[in-house]
Amino acid sequence: MTTASEPAWRLPPRAVLLAAILLLLAAEVGGASMARYKLELGRWARTEMLARPAVHGLVGVRDVDERILDEALFRFDAGLRLFHMHAEGMALVVIATTTVAVTLAQGATTRRALVLLLTVGGIGYPLGYLLWSVLIPVLGVERGKTVAEWLLWLPFGAATIAALVWLSALIAVRMIRR
Amino acid sequence: MTVTRAVLTLAMVAAMAMPAAAHHTGVYAPKDNAITTNFRDVKFSVQAGKFDVALRRFDEGPLRAEMRARAEALPPGLESRTRAALQARDAAGAEQGLMVFFIALAQDLARQADRQLAAGPAAPVPIAQRFLEAIWRYYNLVDFAVAQRHPATSTAMRLAYDDADSAVRAAPAADAARLRRTFQRISEILEAPLAVRGARRP
Repeated sequence: MTTASEPAWRLPPRAVLLAAILLLLAAEVGGASMARYKLELGRWARTEMLARPAVHGLVGVRDVDERILDEALFRFDAGLRLFHMHAEGMALVVIATTTVAVTLAQGATTRRALVLLLTVGGIGYPLGYLLWSVLIPVLGVERGKTVAEWLLWLPFGAATIAALVWLSALIAVRMIRR
Repeated sequence: MTVTRAVLTLAMVAAMAMPAAAHHTGVYAPKDNAITTNFRDVKFSVQAGKFDVALRRFDEGPLRAEMRARAEALPPGLESRTRAALQARDAAGAEQGLMVFFIALAQDLARQADRQLAAGPAAPVPIAQRFLEAIWRYYNLVDFAVAQRHPATSTAMRLAYDDADSAVRAAPAADAARLRRTFQRISEILEAPLAVRGARRP
């Protein structure tokens, strides 16, 4: 039962819902593609790595290089898997948290800022894993990670965390005032 | 007041960025390669007294193929001696053959590392580190057998590995000459078990 003092849940803007659904779609397509093109993806990554021996520190000795290639291929695959999982999870997180924000945040500016941070952060963060995977064969595991970190993980992850802390504080303040 | 608020906001965003940097990227557990997997199959079959299984695994596996492919660099008759030991249900003889093979592989890697470092690579440390890992991966498989037959070699090898590891970790101060010396030392140490019974090809 909803009373006058307990407002009903409000829907976030449609653009936010669309962005979240598109992220969910990307996660599912990504997951399906990983399974369907596993061999092709692995072969592509390996070919790209072998074409850049200096980037990956290959020394031309099988006993040494096979471990390096194996680790890089493991990270490449892990990046794709983590993109799939994070994109699925963050799409739902975006929908849930923006719903809470539009329902509980009172000022229009606060609401807009929260929705923007939660949406942009939630959509951008999982893409970091996809970028990392793509960069591994070209730049190597560590350099690829650094680029993904600075371009996507840090800014978008920080945006999501900042918005969640802000939203938590808002809810706590409302509970105290009640 | 505005400045204070801005500073506080910046501090909060910076604090947020720190946990954001702690994203997890998976944990890589190094796997055995085909040769070491085959070695473990043979070794465990021998330990279980199943010499027929060990012989079949040896005959069909990449370990024997690798012994044949590297025959020129290995002690003469190593592959046939190892096979004969398995056939004769001689666990100690089979272990000796396998031990010599992996020591030869490790020594070959140490020599290759020395050669590559002598060529003056732009980044000697990562090369040294990778060779060292590969050497230890092979040597560690047979360290127990080495320690039983050649305890001095086992101790010396462990010290040499620690020394090489320290040299690699001293990067970027590590110099190629110091790294080369550590690989030369490893190669010399591994010569002793290979020299037994005139095992080494002249």
